[in-house]
Amino acid sequence: MERIGVSEARDHIEMVERILAESHQRLCSGGEYFVVWGAGSAFVTVLFQLVDNAIVPPAALWSVPIVLVACALFSIVRGRTNRNVLQRSSLVQREFFNVLWLTLGLAFVATVAGYRIFTGAAGAAIWSVAEAIVLLYIGMHGNRRAQVFGVLVVASLIAANFAPPGTVGYVLGAGMLVGYAGFGASELLARE
Amino acid sequence: MDELLLSKVRLGVVAELLNFDWVAFSELARALDVSNGNLGAHLAKLIEAGYVDEEKSFVNRRPLTRYRLTKRGRDAFAAHVSRLQALL
Repeated sequence: MERIGVSEARDHIEMVERILAESHQRLCSGGEYFVVWGAGSAFVTVLFQLVDNAIVPPAALWSVPIVLVACALFSIVRGRTNRNVLQRSSLVQREFFNVLWLTLGLAFVATVAGYRIFTGAAGAAIWSVAEAIVLLYIGMHGNRRAQVFGVLVVASLIAANFAPPGTVGYVLGAGMLVGYAGFGASELLARE
Repeated sequence: MDELLLSKVRLGVVAELLNFDWVAFSELARALDVSNGNLGAHLAKLIEAGYVDEEKSFVNRRPLTRYRLTKRGRDAFAAHVSRLQALL
């Protein structure tokens, strides 16, 4: 035995276990990004449906790129600020963001570059799938709220499939707002 | 046993850093409830051994010093904790 007794070893192990348990609770998934992108994607989806139903004039679609650019700008600026200021930056959080940007990036490419394939509600549904993947991935790391909100997004996708014509966008939009932005809001509230 | 990690404070520092990319000095001192001088001395030994990396920067004109665990530190921690568990 090397310079440490059994009771001391137990004391050290207990301290390590306590620190690891506490540090796990401090892992945060960046609620503000979910609020912004959830609200942004819901706005775009609902707006397309409103235009399709002739409730809003097509000229309103000019707000879509503005909203998407605003969401992207917020993410970039916030990400850079956080990176420099954060007192703690977790490894799992970095992994969450890698999955988040990959998934949402692919959804963006699919809807913008593949607009002839993913027409109408299919384009919006891709965003729902991407958001569900992100939430369920975070949920797999033990975040119960992410599991619940991820299931809500999936449920909205299934509900949209059976929704009457002219309401599909509303159902998908509701799923994005409640599921994705709702998860972000709940994370922010939990952080308080 | 890893001689460096026989110190409870140094073991605590490494455990605090384990799940995080970077942790600020003030956060470490608060979490471990040790004085700045004491923590600074222990961190210096961990840096010298190559267990911990240090990053100094300025945020809003105020200094921010952050630390992260190196691969060497992570391996040493895993081996040390295994040996501690073997003692029990």
